Formats: sequence, C-alpha cells, structure tokens
Amino acid sequence: MKLRILVADDHEVVRRGLCTLLQAHEGWEICGEAVDGRDAVEKAKALKPDIVILDVGMPNLNGLAATRQLLQHDAGYKIIVLTITDADQVIREALDAGARGFVLKSDAARDLVSAVEALQRNRMFFTPRVNEMVLAGFLDKGHNGSKGEVPNLPKLTAREHEVIQLLAEGKSSKEVACVLNLSTKTAETHRSNIMRKLGFHSIRDLVVYAIQNNIIQVQTSQISPTETALHS
Amino acid sequence: MTLRILVADDHAIVRRGLRSLLGAHPGWEVIDEASDGAEAVDKSSQLTPDIVVLDISMPKMSGLEACRLIRRNNPQSEVLIVTQHDSKQMMREAGDAGARGYVVKSNIARDLVRAVQATSEHKPFGWKTDPLNHSN
Repeated sequence: MKLRILVADDHEVVRRGLCTLLQAHEGWEICGEAVDGRDAVEKAKALKPDIVILDVGMPNLNGLAATRQLLQHDAGYKIIVLTITDADQVIREALDAGARGFVLKSDAARDLVSAVEALQRNRMFFTPRVNEMVLAGFLDKGHNGSKGEVPNLPKLTAREHEVIQLLAEGKSSKEVACVLNLSTKTAETHRSNIMRKLGFHSIRDLVVYAIQNNIIQVQTSQISPTETALHS
Repeated sequence: MTLRILVADDHAIVRRGLRSLLGAHPGWEVIDEASDGAEAVDKSSQLTPDIVVLDISMPKMSGLEACRLIRRNNPQSEVLIVTQHDSKQMMREAGDAGARGYVVKSNIARDLVRAVQATSEHKPFGWKTDPLNHSN
C-alpha cells in the first residue's frame, strides 16, 4: 500500500516542487494539497494521510498552530514542518507543538525525502541544529529542572493565537468572526481579552508581537546585492 | 519552435517547482538551472536561452546584478523576474536592470504562464508600460 502524503504550503511553486520531489519516490503518493493551515487541518481530517508536511509561514492559520490543532484532534498524525529559519524559538515551538520532523526549506530538496523515510519508520527527523538544541535541553533538564523554559509569557488559548494571527494579517473583527465561524461579538471579546492579557493598546503592538513570536512572517522588501536571503 | 528557458533560484525545491510548471506547457523547455546569480550569468552566456527566469534574492550575485549582465552580454535573452518582493521600488530597479517581466511568487499560479508568453513576445509583464522602452 502506498504512503499517502498531504502537502501544505501557500506558494504554488513550492507545493509543486515538493509534490514532484515526493511523487518521484516509489511507493509514495500525494493524497492532497492545502494552501493554508486551516485548509490543511480540514484536509488532514478528511483524507487521513500517513504524513502531513506543513509550511510554518502560512496565512490564516500558521503551520505550528495547524500542528497543534491536528495533534489535539488525533495524536497519531505524523507531521513534518518546513521553515525558512532554524531560529531557537521556532525550533522550540515546533517541538512543543509535537512535530516529528523539522526541515529547512532551503534544504528541502536534500532532506525532505530522508525526513519522510524517517517518519515512515516511526522515527523523528531533525536538522543538526535542532538535534543540538534537543540534546542541550535534555542536558539542562538533567541538571537544572526547568531551565530552558520560556519565562513570564502570558497564557493565551489556542483560539486567541488564531485570532492574533488573523488580526495581525490585517483582518477586522468581522472578518475574524467569519473565518473562525464565530459571532462578531465573540471575536471582539477575544480581541479585548488578548489586548488585556498582553497589555497592548493598539493593533500595532499586536502586529509587532505576532512578528516577534513567529505567528506571522514578514517578507523583506529591501535587499542588498550581496545578501544571501533564505526567504525567496 | 521550442521556447528555451533557463531557471535561476537558490532554493532547489523552487527550481523543481518552476521546472514542473514550465515544462508542463507545450513548446516550452527548461534547458538548465542555476542556483545563484553568477551561475545564471555564466549559463546564459553558454546556452543563450530565450528567457531567463530569475529570482532576486540569491547568493554570490543578486538577481538584479545578474539581470544587468545577462542583458548586456546576451541582449537576445529576455529576463523574467520571479520574486517574493512585492514592491514598486524593486519593480523599478528590475526594469532599470533590463527585465521585461516581473512576477511576485505569491501570484505565480495566476501569472507565470501569461508572463512567460508575454516575455517571449518581447512584451512587458507586470508593468503598465514597457520598462525597456524609454520613450514611454
């Protein structure tokens, strides 16, 4: 029986690249494609793929939030996240969310097949940098208990994280309500609770928070001729 | 006659996607790939493609610099910029560098085929007026 894979990335060209790469492997098939995190969650529930590949930086619902939602629904999902960065915080959040594979987009052509093979054998796949962090975290815990945990972050619910992403993407409370299938009043209540919990006074503060915490990703619009950007 | 296309992007997975999208079109052939700006310039000189599909953010040499050199060395090769940079200033710089077409990566599904078709006929894509026609 073929290994069924769901691929989610908001960029058509990246999805096409991922699909052709994975379809070329004998015994694997793409059972579905998704254009954002919300679409990925719906399709994963409907199609029940063996492996889900999620881009982190997707609109409407990012890949980490989608990972959390899927694993909350069914802990059996095997999820690989694709990112443009292996910054500490993104790695930590991916691990916390329950992803079993972590692949940099810049290395996807080299690493993704190995990552899928690893998950197929019920193993995990991480980049060398993630392995270092996991090991360091393990050693820290052995010596200091809670060292390595993020301190003093306000506790937000999963729903509030979804609302933050949508507001930071420029949606109004009415549009948030529409996307999340809520009443406008409930969306506004979520918005006020978020602003209160985080001590924010403007939507600008919320956008900055969303960027700093990788809830949304912002593309650069200025580059120098020698820059070696990973964002393209 | 087959339209010969060179694809330049530093991400292998994006090159693979572009190759797949372009190769599916009858009469178009991706003749080679480049993973940075300098390689794109070298391969353009060797292969003289009809169209170079060029990313902007690449190592060693940016797509804009590569575009200038490709247009200077091989004026018969047209350049189509395919980039994540959705900014008027970047479009202006691409036009100044000699690009005929400009597509933002998030719009690739809608624009890529039309942009390659326009560029292959030496028509502008992405600008209201032809960036290479200074009488505009």
